Amino acid sequence: MREMITTNLPVFIIIAPLFVSFILPTLSKRIKLVENLVISVEILGIALAVYLVSIILAQRGMPLIYQMGGWSAPWGIELKAGSLGAFFALAIAIVGLPVALFSKGNLSVEVGAEGRTARYYTLYLLLIGALTGMALTNDLFNVYVLVEVATLSCVGLVSSQKRPQAAKAAFRYLILATIGSAFVLGGIGFIYIITGHLNMGFASQKLSDIWQNNPRVVWTAFSFMLVGFGVKSAVFPLHIWLPDAHSVAPAPASAVLSGLAVKGYLFCLLKVLYFVFGPSLMQVYSVHRILVLAGMIAIVAGSILALAQSELKRRLAFSTVAQVGYIILGFGLVNTKGLAGSLFYLLSHAVIKSALFLSAGAIVNVTGKKHIKDLAGIGKKMPVTMAAFTISSLGLVGIPLLSGFIGKWNLLLGSLETENLLPVIVIIAGSVFCAAYLFPVIRIAYFEPAPDNDLKDPGLPQKIALILLSIMIIVLGTVPGSVLELANRAAAELLAVL
Amino acid sequence: MRELIDKLIVNYPYVAALIIFVIGAMTVLTRSNVFKKLLGINIMESAIFIMFVASGNIRGGSAPILNGNNSEALFINPLPSALMLTGIVVSVSVSAFALALILRLYRSYGTTDLRRIALMGNEVADK
Repeated sequence: MREMITTNLPVFIIIAPLFVSFILPTLSKRIKLVENLVISVEILGIALAVYLVSIILAQRGMPLIYQMGGWSAPWGIELKAGSLGAFFALAIAIVGLPVALFSKGNLSVEVGAEGRTARYYTLYLLLIGALTGMALTNDLFNVYVLVEVATLSCVGLVSSQKRPQAAKAAFRYLILATIGSAFVLGGIGFIYIITGHLNMGFASQKLSDIWQNNPRVVWTAFSFMLVGFGVKSAVFPLHIWLPDAHSVAPAPASAVLSGLAVKGYLFCLLKVLYFVFGPSLMQVYSVHRILVLAGMIAIVAGSILALAQSELKRRLAFSTVAQVGYIILGFGLVNTKGLAGSLFYLLSHAVIKSALFLSAGAIVNVTGKKHIKDLAGIGKKMPVTMAAFTISSLGLVGIPLLSGFIGKWNLLLGSLETENLLPVIVIIAGSVFCAAYLFPVIRIAYFEPAPDNDLKDPGLPQKIALILLSIMIIVLGTVPGSVLELANRAAAELLAVL
Repeated sequence: MRELIDKLIVNYPYVAALIIFVIGAMTVLTRSNVFKKLLGINIMESAIFIMFVASGNIRGGSAPILNGNNSEALFINPLPSALMLTGIVVSVSVSAFALALILRLYRSYGTTDLRRIALMGNEVADK
């Protein structure tokens, strides 16, 4: 039994949410059952992800390989759960549960009728399933299909509120994301045309032999991949869809969009860059310089744009643009410290940004006010919500003993290794900017007199979700232990120095 | 120069794909009508499909159907065509979804022009 679970683990972890997601629309009349099903699937997801991580750590990074339908590697679709895949699967699971808990009970207020709630959950689980698939798949065309599933469910989540702006933001997002997919598919096409393989391992081997025969095709494939995944993951000049989409979505949806969906595309980009093209080819084409430059521009520009926003959720959305910069910058450092820092930052930002969006959503739902200046005295009325907001803001800034610090510290060490001082300065400046756009919210919420009205913290499941996320931020920051080890192993796997 | 032109003529499906891709991209980016944007996206995707299918083609090859007599025949590579079947399905679902969103946009804003929708954005929302 145990062996059966272990061999089939990479599939179980993907199809559990997918199967349940298609049952949900039939249960649209029994919304309590739907909510409990989603939460139990998420708990199962955490159990499977933790088990997967423990197996990978026990095997010292040896990947679990599963061949779909029993067809072996170059012909069939291969799932490969190495340290990297397990790391992202863990990130998805630990963010997915609090977000599902937060949606319990008060979602129908945000999306309208109860039938819409069931459909919202269908999209949510489809997104979780597709992201887990992206984490584990080892096949390029499979990546494209999962990216499309994730994109359509993201757009569905954005449009789930009945407001006209939701349709507008969703349409804009759909158009730009589909342009991104077209570029990704084109990039996959170029790789397939010159290598004849869709399996990442085989394509990579073939590519390192023959790239000199087709240097321009490789160059085109690189740029198609960068632009395609860049649009989808909102790398700075390609971010224009993000602020609208993430600020009009319901609170739990913007948490999962900002926390996980953007990371999923970044993660696919990482896999394609390192597992298909490989670090040496990246250096030949100077792609690592482009990534570092794009990261630095994103950090500075995203932070400045975030400072200019007066709406809380829009400020958080622009902050995502800046934080994506850190992750992209880490991808371009091409050393173990930088990559491990980037991956750890990816996880920590997923947790922190979900906590921020959830607490912002709770505040907006209770007070009905979107602007930061209207939040005076909220800290005394909604202590749990504001405490979660404060902890996660401190975490995002990178205060020691909170999770953001460890990611940023490793990124700093990684940039010092490349002997280029500019990224170091930008990383530190980014933290200062981050404090500049988040701390005023805390100051207004705690130190300005509260108006006389009867505001309360949200319900129990929402409080549990916020507390869970805050605890995770503190635990990841104080005892990163095996998670950091997994990130280090994943970085070693990316650089092929096992 | 002559060599380059010869190469382009031999690889005409790829040149066609490139031209169609650029036409599609220009349509999406420069037109403000939502239907034209949607059509542009479909054109872009068609270009990618053409590229894929052309990459599996072998001149003079036949469809890979093995019936005992033709085991020596030259077959084209069926994999890219099969992949593009999936691609077409994805593209159809994106179009369907986009049309549903267009319907919602038209019902709330009364126009299909994105520039006008952007201008009147917040007034409709505050109602």
